[in-house]
Amino acid sequence: MTMDDNKLTFDKLTSDLTHHIRINKGFLIWMGFLTISLFICLYAYTIQLRTGLGVAGIRDYVTWGMYLANFVFFVAASLIGMLVSAVLGLIGMKWITPITRIAETIAVAFAAVAGLVIVSDMGRPERLAYVFIYGRPQSPILWDVTVITTYFVLSLLLLFLPLIADMAIIHRKVDNLPSWLKPVYKSLSLNFTDNPQQNKIINRSIRILLILLIPAALSIHTVTSWLFAVTSRAGWDSTVFGPYFVSGAFVAGSAAVIIAMFFFRKNYKLQDYLTDVHFNNMGKVLATVSLVYLYFNINEFLVPGYKLKRADAVHLQELFAGKDAILFWLIQVGGLLLPILFMLFRRFRKPLPIMLISVAVLIAAWFKRYLIVVPTQEHPFLPIQHVPQNFMHYSPTLIETLITIAPFIMVLIIITLISKFFPVIPLHDKKKKKGIDHIKFD
Amino acid sequence: MRFKKLLFILSIISFVTRISAQTWVVPDDQKAVVAPVKFTADMQKQGEQQYLKNCQSCHGLMGKDNWAKLTPPPGDLSKEKAQVQTDGELFYRITAGKVPMPEFRNILTEDDRWSVIAYLRTFNPKYIQPTPVAKAAFTGRIVTLALEYSDPMKKIVVTASEQLKDGQTGLAAGVEIMLFVKRYFGRMQVGEIKTTNAQGKALFEFPADLPGNKDGFVEISAMVNDPKSVMKTTPANASFAIGIKTDKPGLTETRAWWSTRDHAPIWIILTYTLSVIIVWGFIIYIVYSIMKIKKLSREV
Ligand code: HEC
Repeated sequence: MTMDDNKLTFDKLTSDLTHHIRINKGFLIWMGFLTISLFICLYAYTIQLRTGLGVAGIRDYVTWGMYLANFVFFVAASLIGMLVSAVLGLIGMKWITPITRIAETIAVAFAAVAGLVIVSDMGRPERLAYVFIYGRPQSPILWDVTVITTYFVLSLLLLFLPLIADMAIIHRKVDNLPSWLKPVYKSLSLNFTDNPQQNKIINRSIRILLILLIPAALSIHTVTSWLFAVTSRAGWDSTVFGPYFVSGAFVAGSAAVIIAMFFFRKNYKLQDYLTDVHFNNMGKVLATVSLVYLYFNINEFLVPGYKLKRADAVHLQELFAGKDAILFWLIQVGGLLLPILFMLFRRFRKPLPIMLISVAVLIAAWFKRYLIVVPTQEHPFLPIQHVPQNFMHYSPTLIETLITIAPFIMVLIIITLISKFFPVIPLHDKKKKKGIDHIKFD
Repeated sequence: MRFKKLLFILSIISFVTRISAQTWVVPDDQKAVVAPVKFTADMQKQGEQQYLKNCQSCHGLMGKDNWAKLTPPPGDLSKEKAQVQTDGELFYRITAGKVPMPEFRNILTEDDRWSVIAYLRTFNPKYIQPTPVAKAAFTGRIVTLALEYSDPMKKIVVTASEQLKDGQTGLAAGVEIMLFVKRYFGRMQVGEIKTTNAQGKALFEFPADLPGNKDGFVEISAMVNDPKSVMKTTPANASFAIGIKTDKPGLTETRAWWSTRDHAPIWIILTYTLSVIIVWGFIIYIVYSIMKIKKLSREV
C-alpha cells in the first residue's frame, strides 16, 4: 500500500472509481463512431449472406482465410482472463487485483465475439445448430464450440460475481447516476448487504470459477490449435501446437490488457489506482510469456527446418525467403524479438512505452495467426488441375476485410459499455483492503 | 524483296499455327457429321435432363450466363459462339472433350449426345436441322461373352460367341479378352490379355491370394479388348466363390476416431459427456448460489 493510498477516504475512493459512470459527449461520439462503423461492416456481411462466400477471397485451395485467422486471434485474446485472474490471482499476486476486472472484461468481450467470427466463415449460418445436432464427439469442432461456450459463461460469471458488491455500493452511495441506471444497478446488486453468508457464497463461487477457468481456458486454445494440428499439412502438423497456441494467446492477451489499462487510466483518471507499478509488472508478465512464445517459435521452425520434409521445405521457404517473408520477419522481429529486448529495461515498462510495445505485439499477433492459417493452404498435397489463378493465391477482398473488422468493433463496443457503466477497478475489494471492512448499508 | 515477303508470310503462318495449337480444332470430316435422326420433342426433353445432370455444373443454366469460372471459360452454350457451330462440331466436342471439359465418349451414349444437342438447339430460333443421315448398317463382328469357372482345371473360362452372317450363332476365335475382378473404387485386371482359341475360349488362372467377401465370392467381369471400337461387344459378369473368405467390417462399421457419430469410441463419448456434465454442473450450482444471495439479504 502506498502513502497516497492511505490518504484516500471512503468517499473519495467511491467517487474516484465511479465518477466516469455518466453519459458524456466523448462517450456518445465514440459510441456513435463505433456504431456507424459496425453498420458499414454489417452491410458488407449482408452482401455475403445474399451472394455467398464467393464475395470473400477464399477459394477451393485456401478455404480458411482471414475469418479463421481472426477466429484464432479472438480465442487467443480471450485467454488472458484465465492468466490474470486464475493463475496470477490464485498464486496470490496482490498487485493483480485492480487489473482482474479489465482482464475479465477483455475475456468476456473476445469470447463472446469469437463465436460470431466463426459464423462469418459459414456459407449457411442458419445451419449453426447442426454442429450440435449432428456433431461427432470425435471431432475437435464439436469440442471447440463446447469449450468456447463454456469458457464464455465462466468468464461472464467471474465478471459478474465481484460486481454484485460494487453494484450495491454504487446504487446506494453514488448520487450523480443517470436516473434510469439506478434500478438496473439495484437489481444487479441482488440486495447485497455485505452479510457474511452472502460474502461466503460469493467467495466460494469465485474460487470454484477460478479453478474451473484454468482447464477451460487451456482447452479452448488447445482445441483450437488441434483444429489445425490434427491434419497433416506442413506448418500445422505439429505436436507442440497446443502449448504454442496457448503461449501465443497469453502474449496477445497481456498486450490487450496493457493497452486497455493505459486508456482506462487516462480517460477515467485512474492514475492513483493503475500505477507505474502495475504497468511495470504487466510488462514483466508480457516479457515472460513472450519469451515462452519465442521458445515455442524456435521449436516450431527449427525442428521441421532441420528435417526438411518436402512439404515443410516449401512452406518454410515461403515464410523465410519467399512470398510471405517480409510479413514473417516483421512479425517475428518487430512483434516478438524487439519487444522482448525492450521490455528487459525498466524504462520501457513505463505506461506509454509499454503501451506502444503492446500495440506492436498485438498487431503482430493478428498477422502471425494469418501466417499460421493461410500460406500452407496455397500448397496443397493434392493440387487440382487447371485451377484459376485465384485458387492458388489467396487475396482477401474488401467485403471480407470489412467483415473481419466487424468483430473488433463489437469487442470495442462491449469493452466500452462494460467499462463505462461499471467500475473498472473492483470497488468492494479496494475498500476491504483499506480496512473499511463493513460498509454501512441502510 | 520477294525474300522479305516470304519471311512475312512465314511469320504469319507460324503465328496462326501457334494460336491454333491452343484453340480447339475440330477435324473437317467431323464438322460435316449430322445427326442420324430428326430431332424430336422427346429428344429435346431427354437432352434437357442429360444437360442438367452432366453439363450444368460447368456451363450453367442455358441463357443465364452463370457458367463456372474456369479457365478456359466454359461459356453459355445458348450464345452465338456455340450456336454458330455445326452439329458435327458440337458432337465432336462433347464426345472428345478438352481439359477441363470432360470427354463424354464413355459417359453418354451417342443417342444421348444427340439429344443434348437437340436440347441446345432449342435456344437458337434460327437453327434449321440439316437432313439426317442414318448410320450405315453395322458390318463388323458382334461378339457376346460368357463366363464360367472350371473346378477341375481351377481356371476361369471365357467363351466368346458371335453372330454369323446367316443369323446363326457361332464360337468366336481370335478375340482379345480382358478379365477384371471388382475391388474398392473400381476394377483390377487379372493376368494379361488373352486371345480366344478356335473353340472361342480363353482360360485365365485366378490368383490364389485375392480376398473375396465373407463367403469367398469375387465379382469377375470379362470384356473384349477393342480399343478402336470396330466390334459390337457384350461383356460378361459373374461371381464365383474362389477368393479368400474375408469378413472384415467396413471402415465405418466399428467404433473408431474416423467413424460416424453413432460409432464414436466409448471412451470419447464418456470423456466428453462427463466433462460437460461436471463443468456445467458447477456452473448451474453457481447460478443457483447467486440466486440465493438475494434471499439472504433479509436474514441479517
Ligand atoms: C468440368 C466442366 C465441364 C462440364 C461438366 C462440361 N463442360 Fe463443356 N466445356 C467446359 C469448358 C471449360 C469448355 C471450354 C473449353 C475450351 O474452350 O478449351 C467447354 C466447352 C464446351 C463446348 C464448346 C463451346 C464453344 O463455345 O466452343 C461445348 C459445345 C460444350 N462444352 C458442351 C458441353 C456439354 C454438352 C456438356 C455436358 C454433356 C459439357 N460441355 C460439360 C467445361 C465443361
